[in-house]
Amino acid sequence: MIHSDNAAPTPQWIGLTWLLPLGLFVLLVLSGQPTLGFSLEWVPSLGVSLAFHMDGLSRLFLALILGIGAMVFLYAPGYLHGDARLPRLMVLLICFMFAMIGAVTADDLVTLFLFWEATSVLSFMLVGFDNEREDSRDAARQAMLVTGGGGLALLGGLLLILHAAPGLRLSDLPRLDPALIADPVFSAGVMLVMLGAITKSAQVPFHGWLPGAMAAPTPVSAYLHSATMVKLGVYLLARFDEAMGATPWWEWSLVTLGSITALWAAVLILRERDLKRILAWSTVSGLGTLTLLIGLPNEWSALAFNSFVLAHACYKAPLFFVAGNLDHLAGTRSIDNLRGMGRALPVTAAAAVLAGLSMAGLPSSFGFIAKDVILTAKELADSLWLVGATSLLVSAIGVAVAAVATIRVFFGRPNDALCRDAHKEGLRLVAPPLVIALAAVALGLFPQLVETMLLDAARMMSPDIVFSNADVPALREAADLSTLGSMGLIVALGALAYLGWDRLHQGLARLTFLDPYGPASIYPRALAALKRGAGSVTRALQDGVIGHYLMITLAATCLLMLPLLARLEPAPSLRLDALEAGRIVGAVVVLTGALLAVLASDILARLLAAGVVGIGSALVFLFSGAPDLAFTQLAVETVFVVVAAVALRRHAALDPAPAPGPWRITIAVGFGLMLGVLLLALQAAPMDSSLGDFFLAASLPEAHGSNVVNVIIVDFRSLDTLGEITVVLLTALAAWPLTRALRHKGAIRR
Amino acid sequence: MKPMRSVILEQAIAALYWLMLLAALWVLLRGHNQPGGGFIGAMLAVAASCAYALVFGAEAARRRLPLPPITLAGLGLGLATASGLPGLLAGAPFLTHLWAEVPLGVASLKLSTVMLFDLGVLLCVWGSLSAFCLRLLEAR
Repeated sequence: MIHSDNAAPTPQWIGLTWLLPLGLFVLLVLSGQPTLGFSLEWVPSLGVSLAFHMDGLSRLFLALILGIGAMVFLYAPGYLHGDARLPRLMVLLICFMFAMIGAVTADDLVTLFLFWEATSVLSFMLVGFDNEREDSRDAARQAMLVTGGGGLALLGGLLLILHAAPGLRLSDLPRLDPALIADPVFSAGVMLVMLGAITKSAQVPFHGWLPGAMAAPTPVSAYLHSATMVKLGVYLLARFDEAMGATPWWEWSLVTLGSITALWAAVLILRERDLKRILAWSTVSGLGTLTLLIGLPNEWSALAFNSFVLAHACYKAPLFFVAGNLDHLAGTRSIDNLRGMGRALPVTAAAAVLAGLSMAGLPSSFGFIAKDVILTAKELADSLWLVGATSLLVSAIGVAVAAVATIRVFFGRPNDALCRDAHKEGLRLVAPPLVIALAAVALGLFPQLVETMLLDAARMMSPDIVFSNADVPALREAADLSTLGSMGLIVALGALAYLGWDRLHQGLARLTFLDPYGPASIYPRALAALKRGAGSVTRALQDGVIGHYLMITLAATCLLMLPLLARLEPAPSLRLDALEAGRIVGAVVVLTGALLAVLASDILARLLAAGVVGIGSALVFLFSGAPDLAFTQLAVETVFVVVAAVALRRHAALDPAPAPGPWRITIAVGFGLMLGVLLLALQAAPMDSSLGDFFLAASLPEAHGSNVVNVIIVDFRSLDTLGEITVVLLTALAAWPLTRALRHKGAIRR
Repeated sequence: MKPMRSVILEQAIAALYWLMLLAALWVLLRGHNQPGGGFIGAMLAVAASCAYALVFGAEAARRRLPLPPITLAGLGLGLATASGLPGLLAGAPFLTHLWAEVPLGVASLKLSTVMLFDLGVLLCVWGSLSAFCLRLLEAR
């Protein structure tokens, strides 16, 4: 389905990109356990620096980003073999990898935000990779709108936090001043951060975009939408957990939100027939469980969170690869047609079984250990029975999904047509899922390999965690009897759900009254409403009549100035001593011109009257000791009136303008009054002349010029002038193509 | 609409054009010590171009310019920018102007990068506004 006809020779480097994350992964593993950090000055005036900090939590996420990344980079060239767009995909994936690395190691809040947004933008481009298909464009836009909107909330939250605690870094969070946590500004900031995090991690009610994002090619789904990016939200929540853990609203909202998401997604799984979408909903469900675990108050939950992050990536990524292989090699992802595919795709089947073991949480897999820790955490939390029941159901559905993705698809009576036509499995297609699934089993047998890493990560969320790998072998202590009992129950329920899958599906599919409340229906309606709203606002404010634009601008300026006018300091006063003969003459000319401009009905007469106003101002300038200004004003006014008059006569219809209506008169008078009052107030205030004195004194000795105005323009403030003439040139450049239209007859009608 | 033909006006403008440009140059040169400067000079030059266009047509006025208008403006911006470089090379901040006195027997001539800067302003404004105004004055 991804193949396009324009096959092109694949550049050599594409096949080797996987060595980059692999090399970094090896470096990460070999580097031991140091806490690293460095900081570069960036915008010191705003307290923003490019600060990075790597601790246990970062290391865990880095291991996923690099480890899964290596396998994704290995898989992608096999999946898009011969496709001309492969280099684009690889470049985007590499950019995405670095954005993720930046996001999970950022220490400075603004740096974090930048990398966070980079992952959203890259996700948009990757979801919409198949940009010739409308559904993938729509899915990309939805992902962008939801995560981008969440990004705005995150930015607002981070700014509030920085306002409450200037210079705060993420690494400061575990040792936060209790007074700060009680600060309502800080709390509001954390709430907005939470909002941003739950959009990224697709929690209810923002869960709709993630299954839509399955329009992306398989390597993207496996990388972004199961293993890494969607976990960024819970990563950030985990960062805040130690600081906020004792705050009741934090615990409750996370536990509630996580439970609802996990449960609702588990229900929605049963309504799907597409294997990839089933896996996507199960990812949403898993993300809900992670949110719930952050909300649970004990230190086991921190360990459970980190174990599940690792376990989930290690089974979900291979299962996505498996779904991709089925799609790519057998041509379908529908579980209605996929039966007994193990005969045609034996290695894929093996990978699916190994990953399925972990997903179902069966012994000897890492999923088993993670599930055990999760159950312990939940038991210790003695929270609501609702949480317990929820997690029981969610886990059971997880077992059923694992069974569907393995037993139902790969075993049983083969679908002969599909098996016969299936292509051969290439090394690049089977090695990645197999390697990751084998790793999940290896970690299940030898959990001590990752014990230190997981405990280090957990300590970032609960620094005074009681167990250390020396005295309590936390992970190996798995499977005491109580949790074994719960696990047995989960597997039994899961088996029941698997056996009754089709009946459950039919039952749920009949619940069509739910559809209007589903994300698939709310999102397009919200989008349509947004477009309608934007349309009516645009039509009201921008109708293409320049006179209306002017009215709106002037009226808005008046409204904005009202609060300022109400408390002018000092009160405006008329200074009669400033009146002298020359200025009075100028003012009379200005007034005459203005009255003529208002009263004249002919457009050319109005233009000339406006020119009279300009000449009057030039007179005022001249008698106020500003000959330069008067000179310039006169020259500008002359050229303007002549050019405008000729241009109007040549290019516009010179209809007599209609008499102004009451609105125009009100706005014009209001604006005039406002400006007048402001100027009088300005005059009444004592003038600070220190700047003027400096220029007067320094002009001749320092800049060798006695015309102070010119010296300021070309010497003291020459950088400003340079900017201004740049603007003049840019304006001319912008007007150049627009005025081209004047060459054609009748170009200007309105 | 064809521009109107009037022999007297044509003869007058042909001479006035150069006179106005000369005035622009004079205003530019005196600008540092007396009212004037690059921008006012530019306005005079633009007025000259517009007057020429009113009598002989916009195309003729454009050909009368030393360079095509946008090129002229670009040259002006370039000159103004370049005038800041000597100061930069001398170790001072960008656009710090340098002065030199060239003795010419009895009198001496003061030369400065300021002059270059102001000339740049003149050319940039002249070119940009001519580009715009001449388009508006163009006969259909």
